[in-house]
Amino acid sequence: MKSALMKFSNSTMTVAMLAIFVVLLAIALRYPPEASFMPFVVGLPAIALCLLQLVLDARQRRHADEAVDTRSDFEKAEDKVSHLVGRHLDFEVAHTALPGAADSRLTPEETVRRELVMWGYFLGFIGGILLFGFWVAIPVFLVAFLRYQAKSSWRTALVLGLGASIALFLVFERGLKVQVHRGFVVDTVLDRLER
Amino acid sequence: MLEIMFSSLYAMLTSPHTMGLMLLAVLLGLIVGVTPGIGGRLSIALAIPFVFGMQMIPGAVFLLTMHAVNGTSGQISSIMFGVPGDGDDAATTIDGYPMAKKGEAGRALGASITASGVGGVIGACVFAVMIPILEPVVLAFSPAEFFLLALLGITFIAFLAGGNNMFKGLIVGFYGLILATVGTDPYTGTPRFAGNYLFLWDGLSLVTAVLALFAVPEMIALGVHGGSISAVSMEQARFSYRQLFEGVLEVPRHWWLAVRTSIIGAVIGMIPGLGSSAAAWFCYGHAVQSSKTPERFGHGAVEGVIAPETGSNAREGGALLPTLFFGIPASSGMAVLMGAFLILGIQPGPKMMTDNLPLVWTLIWALVVGNLIAITFLLFICRWAAMLTFVNGLMLVPFIVVVVALGAYINEGQWENLIILVGLSVIGYGLLRAGWPRAPFVIGLVLGRIAEESLHKAMELWGLKFFVRPLSLVLIALITLTIAYAVYRNIRPSKSLVGLGVAP
Repeated sequence: MKSALMKFSNSTMTVAMLAIFVVLLAIALRYPPEASFMPFVVGLPAIALCLLQLVLDARQRRHADEAVDTRSDFEKAEDKVSHLVGRHLDFEVAHTALPGAADSRLTPEETVRRELVMWGYFLGFIGGILLFGFWVAIPVFLVAFLRYQAKSSWRTALVLGLGASIALFLVFERGLKVQVHRGFVVDTVLDRLER
Repeated sequence: MLEIMFSSLYAMLTSPHTMGLMLLAVLLGLIVGVTPGIGGRLSIALAIPFVFGMQMIPGAVFLLTMHAVNGTSGQISSIMFGVPGDGDDAATTIDGYPMAKKGEAGRALGASITASGVGGVIGACVFAVMIPILEPVVLAFSPAEFFLLALLGITFIAFLAGGNNMFKGLIVGFYGLILATVGTDPYTGTPRFAGNYLFLWDGLSLVTAVLALFAVPEMIALGVHGGSISAVSMEQARFSYRQLFEGVLEVPRHWWLAVRTSIIGAVIGMIPGLGSSAAAWFCYGHAVQSSKTPERFGHGAVEGVIAPETGSNAREGGALLPTLFFGIPASSGMAVLMGAFLILGIQPGPKMMTDNLPLVWTLIWALVVGNLIAITFLLFICRWAAMLTFVNGLMLVPFIVVVVALGAYINEGQWENLIILVGLSVIGYGLLRAGWPRAPFVIGLVLGRIAEESLHKAMELWGLKFFVRPLSLVLIALITLTIAYAVYRNIRPSKSLVGLGVAP
């Protein structure tokens, strides 16, 4: 299932990249020759590479049933070093060190669900910054994430979230004298209050 | 030369501001190195907002020191718990973990920490020795060669980061190159791919792009998979300082191996695209091949700990060479560092050799002094530093995301960069999810402007004839051979050690 997903996302990525290059070159057609020179120098070979990659993706799918080397990097290294030494070696690495050890615990559905949750937090945070500014969005995001995603206690989440927010405020606003985005909603409200 | 060399050291050591920043960088670098889920390039990207507005030399010393000592602490979890913190620590695990299991964790740590420091210092020395040798070569390069060097850099990175999928690496590299053209065209003043959005007229923010391609996808992935390694026992974390000291003495005992692997690591570092994993594995392989008792490897041979550590840390010194003098970042970490240097007003290229030699020497000394401070720190605190390995990755994610958002905004003070951050993060996560390399993107983005300027200058000077200049022909041959080998490898996949987790 995982490899099928990987193959699918491989072609999807190639098509996405192809679309990006085609759109950019279509836009570049409107520029004067000097300005469009570099985009074409880069874009045309890139489109050719994307098409070639699509062919390779198709070829890979056709050969999907053939034997695939499923060994981990450690197992491959074991073989290689054994070859150098001239006898079989057995590396004593912890199970958690083996690549894919963490992934194997997650089903594809669970992975997608967790991805959506993480993207939700990220987009919510960026949206919060744009609307309400950094100094409102940061403590809300930190406390919410620590409490509901990292499963910390309310006390830990509040102490860490608010403490970090205050520390960042002091470093950036007071120490580095950086004026950060205040948020469109906050700006509008403050403007109205001033009027 | 000697005067510049020692005056740079004197100026650095007598500046409390620079030394204070260096101490802070060492501490942060070591903490980041031992914490799971935060790699070297990510730590540099995260540090960029904090050097914003700093002076050139202290800012550069801070970032380079942090980057250089990053790998020094990564081996703690590899040795104590068998869990490599990063790709280059994997080779150390092979003999370090069995040593810990035999009750020799202190000896393994003493040897690895000292070896890392020695590697870092020798790597810096190799870089210093190369300066007078390379000077005529660097100065012989014309705009034509710099355009081809940019292409070669992307080809190397694409080849090594992409493994058997070099075309994917090249596509990502070209994606970085084409995004570098966003903004006002330097020759006609036409705003390219920028429309009426003024914030794009100066080009895409490098910091935002790097954070979007690396930091956000890594954090999403860390949030999805978690990062704690609570399954391992803390029992092995116990060791004595006597053992640690015995381990320190192992490095002078195997001094010839340390020197050899340091030089190998530094040379590997000079080749763009060969990651520190490659340096570590090459050096491990060398230690096995040159040993009279190779059967001990894999079961707790101290040479198996010394070799990869010296190699991977010496690599940083070598990697500075193409980055500073040719403007070709030797790795994605160096690409991020180069981006940060550009923000600080440092323009890598041949002029570093002629106009900015004191800065170059300051950076070399920063590598030496930073590594020495890191060894001293780490030998005392490694017992406690090991605890950081148990930090739950999910607890780190929100703090890093906050720093990422601040970094993307503060760099140019534009809220629109947050939208760009989201857009590019989607592509970055797509690349991560699909197993595509992301390192070539940074190289492409960093080199894009230099490549375009060089191409225009070369065309003005020689027209299409610039392709047949002798040095150009050599570079074209290298590009062609790399691509041809990649095509061959696609047909007949190899099983080389270099292919193991190479993440430049």
